[in-house]
Amino acid sequence: MKQAGKDAVSASNTTGEFTSAARLEATGVSVHFGSRSALEGITAAFGPAETVSLLGPNGAGKSTLLKVLAGMLPPSHGEVLLDGAPVRKPAPGVVYVPQRTGVDWTFPVNVLDVALMGRAGSRSRLEPLSKQDRADAMEALERVGMHRFAEVQIGQLSGGQQQRVFLARALLQSGKVYLLDEPFAGVDVPTQDLLIDLFSGLRREGRTIIYATHDLAQAAKCSDRILLINRRVMAEGHPQEVMTATNLRATFGGQAILVPVEAEIARGAGGSTT
Amino acid sequence: MTSVLNWILDPLSRTFMQHAFVAIVLVGVICGVTGTFVTLRGLAFMGDALAHAIFPGVVIAFVLGRNFLIGALIAAVLVSLAIGAIGQSERLSNDTAIGVLFAGGFALGVALISAQRSYAKDLSSFLFGTILGVSRGDLLLTGAVGLGVLAVMALFRRELGLIAFDRTFAQAQGLNLWAYDQLFLLLLSLSIVISLQTVGNILVLAMLVTPAATARLLTDRLPRMAFLAAFMGAGSGVIGLYISYYGGISSGASVVLVATALFAIAYLFAPGTGVVTVRLARRLHYAHPERDAFDLDDSLQAPLSEPPYPEDRTTHSRGLPTAP
Repeated sequence: MKQAGKDAVSASNTTGEFTSAARLEATGVSVHFGSRSALEGITAAFGPAETVSLLGPNGAGKSTLLKVLAGMLPPSHGEVLLDGAPVRKPAPGVVYVPQRTGVDWTFPVNVLDVALMGRAGSRSRLEPLSKQDRADAMEALERVGMHRFAEVQIGQLSGGQQQRVFLARALLQSGKVYLLDEPFAGVDVPTQDLLIDLFSGLRREGRTIIYATHDLAQAAKCSDRILLINRRVMAEGHPQEVMTATNLRATFGGQAILVPVEAEIARGAGGSTT
Repeated sequence: MTSVLNWILDPLSRTFMQHAFVAIVLVGVICGVTGTFVTLRGLAFMGDALAHAIFPGVVIAFVLGRNFLIGALIAAVLVSLAIGAIGQSERLSNDTAIGVLFAGGFALGVALISAQRSYAKDLSSFLFGTILGVSRGDLLLTGAVGLGVLAVMALFRRELGLIAFDRTFAQAQGLNLWAYDQLFLLLLSLSIVISLQTVGNILVLAMLVTPAATARLLTDRLPRMAFLAAFMGAGSGVIGLYISYYGGISSGASVVLVATALFAIAYLFAPGTGVVTVRLARRLHYAHPERDAFDLDDSLQAPLSEPPYPEDRTTHSRGLPTAP
């Protein structure tokens, strides 16, 4: 086990000059909830400087896989390795961005408070957040175009703006691997463009981006690699290789998409999956 | 002038009232802070249930001649663990688990106390508190437990806030949700237990929920909300005790009615969010230019939907609108 760990570390080092690079792997990961199985034997590896989308229909286990990769959910079988070391609880280098819908937006916090939550985990209990933390938070908010809303209660924001605040919080956590659950769901076009920019920026810095989506066009447009998922990995590879009618029908089943992928891509970010 | 002063000082000259004032301020502050998290997490029903379900513990301690706080605490821990356990069941929701234990526990308490000779008097003192019978020892215990609760909450404020706001993110930060939930239930139980003597079993829910709800209407920031809730709780307590003293009405009820009145005032008149304030502001800002904004009869007929938003609201002085 130790030996394998060393190999993985050196493997990621050989990939280059990045300081914020990591290698995340899932080996034979299965998850069962009671008698229902959510994931079956997922094996996948994610390297530095790549953007990978987990594509599949609702209930395919995309969110579950992200939670397992983030160390939030122990798999029933198999394991997750970060730079060769088993992941059993959330690790500092791995940043998880939850779905917007799981949050209480009436909560009495403003935009800056939410961004600063990205720092809370790395500060000790008695140490208050510093001026530097605030300055960093404002900088992150500026990067997502939300600095002018710093004092606004989060419930007053649109869906796209809320997603931007989540991204600022994630940026403040400065991880090596970013796991995002449906970041494109229900956000406006400017926010989608911002997400794409942000992803390529993070990728240039050598970070890994893994995100769940059920939007084919989106996945084809901004990922280096696609994992088609429906409880197991149905196909894997570059968008052009993976997006074949057969693969898509196998993954999406009854929800099969009959519009050619090229046409979907041409329709751009606003295209729907059905 | 002296008569007003006398009116204020008279109750304070009696020892039992001094104790009552200290007790209600402690309870107001502690329940205000705990209640902030209770309302934000939507745990009002849980709070009510805990208050009722610890009733048998109080009664057993009373029958055995022990301090009621100990009995209440044991019962509270057992009940919160039982709710957690039953709530894990795939077929029953947490809500249902709370409902079952709440009613069952309360019935057990009533059954136990009905076997006593002074049934009616004891029951009512448990249900509505005996704030005028708070002893020095009770105060010390309440103060010590209360300060402990506040200290732990201050220490874990970030974690408790994070879990209340975004559980999934909190989990991704490596927080043990189960442990923090249990910790919070324990703090909630302690807050309830030390309030029992002051406001009683039934009205403690109001001390948890109402001041916090009022505070939420007045601010959009969590720390400020906790401070305001503490202030509202203590303020309702003091004003309520005066009304109780001079009006000869039950102290617990009087305190809760004051808290409820403060809530109503905030609901109607809170700056920026109050039902009346918002409507009034809208009318003053947006009334049709040809009308006099102060003519109420006329403005009552103004459409409720928002008329076009003026470019610059600051140009409107004292509600006299300028033409857009």
